[in-house]
Formats: sequence, structure tokens, C-alpha cells
Amino acid sequence: MANISEQRLIEQLIIGDPAAKELLYDRYAGALYNIVLQLVPVKERANEVIVKVFLWSFQNIGTFRTSGHRILFTWLLRKAREFAIKEALPETALTGTELMKQEDGLLQQFYLMLPADQQQVFRLSYFKGLSITTIARLLALPEGQINDILKEAMKSFRQFLKKTWN
Amino acid sequence: MELKFYIESGIIESFVLGLASEEEVEELQHMRRLYPELDTEVEYVERRLESAAFDEPAMPPAEIRDRVLQKIRWEDGHAYSDPSSNYTFINIQPKDGDHITVHRWWKIFFIIFFIMSKVFLFLAIFYYLKYRMSQEQQRSDNLHQMIRQEQTQNPLL
Repeated sequence: MANISEQRLIEQLIIGDPAAKELLYDRYAGALYNIVLQLVPVKERANEVIVKVFLWSFQNIGTFRTSGHRILFTWLLRKAREFAIKEALPETALTGTELMKQEDGLLQQFYLMLPADQQQVFRLSYFKGLSITTIARLLALPEGQINDILKEAMKSFRQFLKKTWN
Repeated sequence: MELKFYIESGIIESFVLGLASEEEVEELQHMRRLYPELDTEVEYVERRLESAAFDEPAMPPAEIRDRVLQKIRWEDGHAYSDPSSNYTFINIQPKDGDHITVHRWWKIFFIIFFIMSKVFLFLAIFYYLKYRMSQEQQRSDNLHQMIRQEQTQNPLL
């Protein structure tokens, strides 16, 4: 069971096989947890996010194929970020240079490489989950400019990933 | 060529990280239908992010695994399980229509109601007796007065 392909794992999950659920957890929990900890630096809350994501995935595996994602990991990751942002919002004011304890985390590494303006927009967008409109209001800049800055950051992110993990 | 430019804009990365706006996501899905080779590009990006994340895993505590998988066992047993809480609720009351289930506050309500009814009953009796006493008092006062009046009208008696 431990070596089955992703396709097969998805099929087993759809029919609700408990062993497949265990396998899904064992395969992805570690990689997800690392990224969630960068978003929610409080361990207890990050734990809650992990529980929520997996319970959600067991219920919603049927929607995977229409989600636009090609692999399970990023499908899980997107939901994990969604839950993490909801979990983190209450105590982090929008000023936010605070925390993010996992300084060697993947997204953290990337973030630290960016120029200052891109850092600010990327932080508010990725780590805080704010919309372009909200960021523009917060920084008192036009939305178009925020959009351009974020696009630049995304171009850099593409290069960042390609450089090391191609 | 234009497609290459589109890919290099980082739109796929933006989608995968969950930063793309609704319109951008729609546009991407539309483009994917037009150019199926974009699907391969999406998969490349997702695989890269996956390998990057798998390079530095951090396992959650074992109790989290237990919590996630324990719920599976309950689900398989078809017991009712609420995803937001940790316990299973099983109703063991007989389902015969002769019993009802009420909120615990009804108990407090009935105790207060009982005590209040006793208090009112006591007050009712108390004031009734008081009223009777004052009535009798008045009658005897009237009697005394009448006797006194007769005495003054008829001093010889």
C-alpha cells in the first residue's frame, strides 16, 4: 500500500478506504505542517489546521479533479493555507512584521530574497491572505501598482522554484 | 510565443499558492482548455513546489495523527461525528413517543415555580386571616359604639 501511485491513492480515497486515508496523512502531513507553521507560528493552532485539512480532504476528495490542481499536495496546500489564514487572523494585526518563527521555511527563504516593496506586498498577500484591494487601501497605493508588484514577485517565485527544484 | 510569455508571468505559481484573483483563475482555466499543454506546465510547477516542501518536512505531533485517523474509524462505524468536535453523541433514550427530552433549565424553572406557588399560597392564607381579624375587630368596635350611644341617649338604663 505504501508505494501505490497518486492516481491509485485518489481512487482509493474516493471509495473511502481507511488505509488510503492513513497513507494520505503519512505522505503529506509533514510537508504541509512545515508550510502551515510559517503561516501560523503557534503550534496548537497549526495542529488544528492540519486536523481540519485532512478531515476536509476525506470529505471532499471528489472535488479534486475539478479543482484545477494536478497533484494532491498542492490541492491540500491551498486548503491548508485557507484554514491557516482564518486561524491566524484574530491576533495578528495588519501591521504584521511579527513572528513567522520558521525562518528557514521555504516561503520564508523566498520572501527574504525579495526587494522591500515586493516583500511587503507578498507578505500581506501570501502570509496574511489579504486581497489586492485591501493591500492597496492599507498601503495607500493604486491597485494597479500593487498588482504589478505582486506579479513581479510571482515571476521571481517561478525562477526561485525552477532554480532549485527543476 | 504568447503562451510562453503567459507562463513566464508566474500566473501558474500565483494560482498554486492561492494568490490569484477569481478572474485570473477563470482566465487560467479558460487558457488550459484552449492549450492543453498548459496542464503539463501546471503539473511542473506543482511538482516543483511539492519537492521543495518535501525537502524540509516537520511532522506534527503523534496525537494529531490519532485525532485525524480516529475520526475515520468513527465515520466507518457510521456513528454520528461532528467534524468540529471530538466526541460522539449517542442517544440512548427509548424511542417510544412516551418520553420527551427537555432542556435542563426547565428543572430550575419548575423548582422556582414550585417555591413561588408555596409562597403565594402562604401569603394568601396569611392575608385572608388578617382580613378576617380586622373585620371582627371592626364589628366589635361598632358594637361598643352602639352600646355607648344607647347609654348616652338613655342615661337611666
